[in-house]
Amino acid sequence: MEFQKKRAKVKLEIPTTSMPDIVFMLLMFFMVVTTLREVDLLVEFKLPEAKAIEKIENKRLVSYIWVGKDKRIQVNDSIIKMNEVQSIMYAKRQSLPNIIVSLRVDKGSDMGFVTDIQQELRKAYCLRINYSATVKI
Amino acid sequence: MALLKKKTVRSVDIPTASQADLAFLLLLFFLVSTIIDVDTGIGLTLPEYIEDPETVEVPKDRMAAVLINENGDVLVDGNPTSIFQVKNNLKPRIVSKIELPSNKKLIVSVKTDRKTNYNAYIQALDQIKQAYFEVRDEYSSSNYGNKFNDLSVEDQEIVKDKVPIIISLAEPEAVKK
Repeated sequence: MEFQKKRAKVKLEIPTTSMPDIVFMLLMFFMVVTTLREVDLLVEFKLPEAKAIEKIENKRLVSYIWVGKDKRIQVNDSIIKMNEVQSIMYAKRQSLPNIIVSLRVDKGSDMGFVTDIQQELRKAYCLRINYSATVKI
Repeated sequence: MALLKKKTVRSVDIPTASQADLAFLLLLFFLVSTIIDVDTGIGLTLPEYIEDPETVEVPKDRMAAVLINENGDVLVDGNPTSIFQVKNNLKPRIVSKIELPSNKKLIVSVKTDRKTNYNAYIQALDQIKQAYFEVRDEYSSSNYGNKFNDLSVEDQEIVKDKVPIIISLAEPEAVKK
């Protein structure tokens, strides 16, 4: 007896016409959430680790101060001196009254240096600060 | 003589077969360049700057003085403590003051030397924050049956009122030469 080859009578095709739409949707999502790096980091730093960490919900309010291993302070796109911190941060506070200053300080820094920055911030009335830290697992 | 127009129907379809590929390419670019960076850290509110602040005496039992020296040694109220014990040390003291009025709650004072390592300071601050968060969580679960973060905003306010986080940053002492 010969076996008869049975051919499937149904066409098996996955419709791919909507694939571009799906991909575009994904694309849109990533385009929206992407923040291309706004500033070039000029200092080198390693953040400390901590457990009791809070998220800053409102990113619009955040302004960063970087402090590198070599004790250089960066605000926006430039390295600044300690005595310029106050005027710059005060100007920022003028345009954004409830500003949160995120201190991205290298974990090897001295507290004296950090305190000096804090004093400048207090004089500039930037009172809400956040010690940036990564999550300790 | 009538001219016979020869009509050739040209296909004017734009080939869309590669559209998906193009979209994928773009997608890949954005996938790679995306940094979903969430800002995490330890939040704090600094006191206002006053030229010469008047000092107010605070009763000793209200204060928990955390002192970190330049070697990373920690003193809590004068007793040498491991940095990881700070949390356990503070927790019962925060708990004991939950039912007291707001002007009698615990104040944690953090003091460092100018040469203290920043990392040590953050570790200590982290311990203090953890102590407060755990007390809040425990208070919430015993009173509302839920963790602090899962409470409604009004309940959170009540708990925050009961367990306020009061951290005082003392100015570091200059290192003696």
